Formats: sequence, C-alpha cells, structure tokens
Amino acid sequence: MPRLTTSARQLDTIDRGAPMLQIDGLTKRYGATSVLDGFAMSVAAGEVVSLLGANGSGKSTSLRCVVGLSRPDGGTITVDGVPAVDGRPIPDVAMVFQRIHLVPRRSVIDNVCAGALGRLDLARSWSTLGFPAELREEAMACLHRVGLADRATEKAGRLSGGQQQRVAVARALCQRAKVLLADEPVSALDPAAAEQVMRLLRSLADEDGIAVAAVLHQPDLARRHSDRMIGLMHGRSAFDLPAGAVDDATIEALYRPDAEAER
Amino acid sequence: MTLAPLREPSTPERRTAPRRVSQRTLAIGGTVAAGLLAVHWYAWTQTEFSLTALAEGWQGIWHFLFGRDQTYPNGHHVTTEGAFPIDTSWGETIRPGIGYCLLTVCIGLMGTTLSIPASLVFAVLGSRTTNRFPPLFWLARAVMSVLRAVPETVYALMFIAAVGFGAFPGVIALAIHNVAVMGKLWSEAMDEADQGPVEALRSAGASSYQTAVHAVLPTVMPSLLGLLLYRFDTNVRSSVILGTVGAGGIGFYIKQSVSGFRFDTMMTYVCQVVVLVILIDLLSVWLRKRLALT
Repeated sequence: MPRLTTSARQLDTIDRGAPMLQIDGLTKRYGATSVLDGFAMSVAAGEVVSLLGANGSGKSTSLRCVVGLSRPDGGTITVDGVPAVDGRPIPDVAMVFQRIHLVPRRSVIDNVCAGALGRLDLARSWSTLGFPAELREEAMACLHRVGLADRATEKAGRLSGGQQQRVAVARALCQRAKVLLADEPVSALDPAAAEQVMRLLRSLADEDGIAVAAVLHQPDLARRHSDRMIGLMHGRSAFDLPAGAVDDATIEALYRPDAEAER
Repeated sequence: MTLAPLREPSTPERRTAPRRVSQRTLAIGGTVAAGLLAVHWYAWTQTEFSLTALAEGWQGIWHFLFGRDQTYPNGHHVTTEGAFPIDTSWGETIRPGIGYCLLTVCIGLMGTTLSIPASLVFAVLGSRTTNRFPPLFWLARAVMSVLRAVPETVYALMFIAAVGFGAFPGVIALAIHNVAVMGKLWSEAMDEADQGPVEALRSAGASSYQTAVHAVLPTVMPSLLGLLLYRFDTNVRSSVILGTVGAGGIGFYIKQSVSGFRFDTMMTYVCQVVVLVILIDLLSVWLRKRLALT
C-alpha cells in the first residue's frame, strides 16, 4: 500500500511550523454584497483549524476560493509556498463537502479513483476502464486508511452518510492532497458519525501531516478536535485563537443576531 | 386571539391580509384573454372551419366507410372498397402487413440507434454543466435548433429525392431529426443533474471531459436511457408517417391502398399500426419502470 509508506516517511520530514496554506487579504463580493473583506488565515502541516461563524459570514466562500470553485476579487492564496492562480484548482488541495458529492451510482472504489483525475491523461481517464491498476491499488490503500476497504465494490449511494463522507475523504487522499478543506463535513451526520469523521480528520493531520481546515457549526466539536479556531464575521476573521483559549462568550458574540442581521 | 410578533417588526405593522387578486393581476389577465380570443378568431377564419361542410360531406364519409359502385356514362365501372368490413385476407394483406410493421419498427430502431453518438456529443456540448466554453455551447444549441426546425417528413422527402424510395432514406431522416431532439432532451437532463459531484471533481482538477464522463453521465444515465426509449417510441410512430411519403414500411402501403380506393385494406393496416404502437408503448413503459428501479 504505497500511500501508507509515503505518509509514514512524510511524518519524519514534515515541518510542522511552516504554513502549508496561507491566505491573505482575500476579498469577494457578489454585486453590492461583500462576502469576504480582507480575510486572512494560515494552516500549518499537521494542524487542524476550524472556521466558525454565522450564515453568510464567508466561511464556505473562502474555502471555495482556495479550490477554484469561486474566483476571489482580491488577495493571495499560497499553498506550500506556491501562489495559486485565481479560479484554478490546486492539485495539493482537496475539498470535502457537507452534501458529500460522491457519484451515488458508481462503486466506492471508482469514486475514490476519481480523486486522481487531475493527474491522469485522457488515455487513462476516458472511462473507469482506463484507470491504471496502480491507481486502483492506491485507492484501496486510501479506503483502508478511512476504514472502508471492505466496501470498495459497493455502490457509493448504498453507504450511510458517515461512511460516504469517509469515502469522500478517501477520494481527497487519492488526490494526494497536502491540504484538506472541509465545508461543514459533519452537518448532515448524526453525532456518532460526526465524531468518527472528525476523529478521522484529526488523525490525518496527526499521522499524515495533512493541513486540515474545516468549517464547523458545532463549537463543541471544533474545540475538541482542532488546534486553532478562527471566527469569521462580515468576511473577516474576528478571532484566531488556540482552541483551548476560546471561551463561550467569544462564541456567543460570533453568533449574536445583530452580527447576522447585517449580511 | 392575538399573537405576539416573533421579533420587533422591521416594517410598520400590518395586520390585514392582502387582497386575493390584485388590480394588476386582473389587468394582465384581461389583456391576455382578449389577445388569445383575437388570435383564435383569426385562426378560425383562416382554416375555413365549418361544421356545415362536415355535415354536408356525410355522403363522402359514408362512401369511405362502406364503399360504392360507380358506373360512368362511357360504361367505365369504378368500385370503391369501403373501410368496413376490413380486409381480412391473410396471405394478401394481414401477413404482408405484419412484415411492413416490422420494417417500420426497424426504421424507427435504426434511426434512433444511429443518432446516439452524435446526440451524445451535442448534448455534452449543449449543456452548461459539461461545456464551460460559451462559443461552443451556443454553436451546439444553434445547430440543434436548426436541425430540429425541419420536420422528419421534409428530411425524408429530401433523401428520397437523393437516393430513391425505400426504408433507407427514412432511417437517415429519422436519425438527423433525432440527433437534434434527443441532443436537446439529453442536454436538459444534464443541466438538471446534481452539480455537487461536478464541483467535487472540478475542485480535484478534473477537466471538462473528465467531469462529463465521471460525474455527469453516471448521474444522469437513467434519465438518458428513459429519454432514449421515449424517442424510440416516438420514432416508430414517425416512421409510419414517413412511409406515406415513400420512405418504406407500413405507411407506404397505407398510402398505396388509399390511392387505389382500397379503404378496406387501408383499415387493416391502420388496425395493425394501432396494435404496433400500443405494443411499443407497453414495452417502453415496462422498460422505463425497470430502469427507475435500478
């Protein structure tokens, strides 16, 4: 299983202090509405950062700008020292979504293989039949990493929500991402499944040195699983603190109705 | 009963419900109704629609239904076979009719199947989900609109002029028209597909072709197959009509028996068409149900 050996090696060489993802002065507006207004944050390798904030505070938009699904109006995004081109996906950055976005009618392993599409030429990606054998092995290793290797041949749509989200994480691993962005990864899951997915994200940071940034709506989960918490308000970061230093008053201020009414 | 407002209202308080139908709705509704009435009055006059003509033509209808014998002053004798009783001769009408029906199905099948590759290309190019290059998108849409604007029958007449009477020009005519229609239906199905998997793969760096093959097509495949079956059903019916202008199949023989005043034979063929269409319809419904289950 190639993935596991490389990640084991990665662990020794990883520089945990250096920012893997660096965002500065990010701005994005839709018409007259400013969604991001000079947002800045950084995530180091092996670190889990959670983003909190009321609806419309710009959490999801900031992540979407990083993977090229939204085009920012200004600011810089740097991944592993390399500046990103606006509106283009970055091979090193993978994203998982609240609504998971697997292809339900495809098998689990084919869904995981699809994470590698960005580095496959047409001859090896014209159909799932073109996927090389090494890729399928790598996908199995990724599935093993999230604990679902035994479900590889099933249709993705048959799995439970929590299992599907773990398959989506395996797809991100198959992309060989150094940065994993998670947009409300557990909002649609029951508490047990949510806990399991969060533990998985935590272990990807700890054991594989992946930089994880997750939008979360549950302050409690964020506190327990992340190193740092960033609160967004009006498209800017309102606080950026170690998880242990965030108290209830800080959280409450973030979600106060008057803060939301202005969006 | 008084209900306390949930929060301080942001607008001045208003407790009375709005009118059911606003003045504006009434005005627009009245204008639309008047416009529709005018258009239909014009159409009525243009089509010389006349119930009296229909009533006065009862004799013609009678002759069509039950036949007549005519002897001209020069001694010439013309027999019109009425539609009823229908022609029940097995060897001369019913058995060949079954063969003609099969040919009609073959024309519909070939026309549908041959159009699949081009339909798929046009559908992928003509859907915003799969084609993010606007010039090509608009070109694909425009080509489909133009091809679709020409009826199958006109294509059939053109290809009959080119290659002569027979089933082959019918197949070509159906295939061309179907590329445009099925391409449009398929591209609409792709437009309505869940954009989530598309975004997921795009963020992983997949190209437009890769997102089409690995996210859109597997998601919409049941809809595409359902639409394909629907088009097969429609194309078999169309191929009956194409036959009447000379493009083979049962339609051709319906036209021939009308020209020869053999309305009894015609009615037999018509009954066979009815049975054929019902059978194809049942098959298509059955298959689509099975598809929906997978």
